Amino acid sequence: MIRLVTLAPFDEGDIAFVTRTLFQAFGLGTEHVGERKLPAEAESSDDRYDGPKLLEEVSPVRTFADDKVLYLAIVPLSMKPGPLGEPPCYGFSRYGGERAVVSSALLPPRGVTEASIERFRRRLARESVHYVGHLWDLHHCLDARCAMHPSWSPLLGDDPGFELDSFCRDKSEQRIRLAKT
Amino acid sequence: MKGHTRRDEKEQPTLLPSNIQSARELKPGDRVVYPNQGVCRVVGLEQKDIAGQRLEMIRMNREEDGAAVLVPMAKVSSVGLRRVSTADEIESVFHFLAAVSADPELDWKVRHRDNVERLIAGGVLGVAEVVKGLHSLSRIRPLPTKEREQYDGARHLLVSEVAVALGVPGNLAEDYVDHALNPPTGTRFQLKPPPKPIEISIPAYRRKKPAAGEEDLGLDELGIELPEEAAPAEEEEAQREGGAEAGEEASPAARDAEKPARPGKAAKPARKAAAARRPRPKAARKAAPKKKAAKGGRGGKRK
Repeated sequence: MIRLVTLAPFDEGDIAFVTRTLFQAFGLGTEHVGERKLPAEAESSDDRYDGPKLLEEVSPVRTFADDKVLYLAIVPLSMKPGPLGEPPCYGFSRYGGERAVVSSALLPPRGVTEASIERFRRRLARESVHYVGHLWDLHHCLDARCAMHPSWSPLLGDDPGFELDSFCRDKSEQRIRLAKT
Repeated sequence: MKGHTRRDEKEQPTLLPSNIQSARELKPGDRVVYPNQGVCRVVGLEQKDIAGQRLEMIRMNREEDGAAVLVPMAKVSSVGLRRVSTADEIESVFHFLAAVSADPELDWKVRHRDNVERLIAGGVLGVAEVVKGLHSLSRIRPLPTKEREQYDGARHLLVSEVAVALGVPGNLAEDYVDHALNPPTGTRFQLKPPPKPIEISIPAYRRKKPAAGEEDLGLDELGIELPEEAAPAEEEEAQREGGAEAGEEASPAARDAEKPARPGKAAKPARKAAAARRPRPKAARKAAPKKKAAKGGRGGKRK
């Protein structure tokens, strides 16, 4: 089961689109559990929230074995810079972990037109699939059409796909089959 | 066992400074990299009876999944065990990954063999070379399944070593690697000169040099056909210049031109050109106007 928790008010239509996409991608039931507060401890001096710390400090959700929790936020996230600087942070999750967080801060603005809302929803769904995929031990994928392709890659078009390619789908299905429950 | 001995004599892997020369250098708790397996933690020594022989072995646990790895004491140097790279070495690897990539090797046999050797004996830079090479190739054309698996394996080894060396979770390490390989649009890195690529020592008996006429550039797979006229033109130029050096420069093309064209690949463009020049058969020429005429005729009759 994938449990969706919002850390800010999100439109119901957006949530419904994300839950539907997650169900299609992983074949697991997905439900919106409710809203939680952003942990103040994770806020850094540059008004961003540290991704790993946010996941540690956020108030927990009741889960059962092999459940995954996805937090949706609107604040910008940060991560520890690497040898060549800090990659753009669309979210954070650990391989094989239980919790993931996705932020809409770097996504295209939601806007008010039907087209812009649709684009925002598709991108939010893509990032959700991407970070939940990491929770199922999926790594980044070479295929730019796959949801596991790096989120900042220049190969992604304006409207990147939010589905897994056959290679990643097989791997995730295998992991889910091997899960305890 | 005989086969093993002969192989060991011929195939001594390249020893890098980080390679572990003797089992005495290891102690419980040490982290080492086992080529093609990943980062392992040394547990200790143990004795095992194998095929009637009492062997002293080093037990290690693979960090990724806890799988047990046993290496005989005598084989520690030959399997290519090495220490986990330092943060400085990893930084230079990132500068290598982010540098402009050289043209990938197009002959899959040479590429695959070199990649296998690099993964075994090339250290962390060898693994990075494999990742970068296959990544740049994937920009040209989709990787075949075997190479996709090799790319995923190499990438996995690189990410796990980066994670251990920098003390970050695996997913962050992967983000760093992809940030270097696929920088976002408009990003410019301040790069240092990348380290020298690893020279792989492949035994001479395993390096089969392709024959000059059969040099496969992999152009057929890309759907590119070389014009046949190019080679003789170069040869003529070389002859006009008359120098032995010029002859040497043009030698591969000239050699190809001297050879009789192979009926399979080389003759293809010539055949196509000839077909274009050939006049269409009479029957074909007649058939087209006839149809129109027939239509017109029938219409005329109706009128």
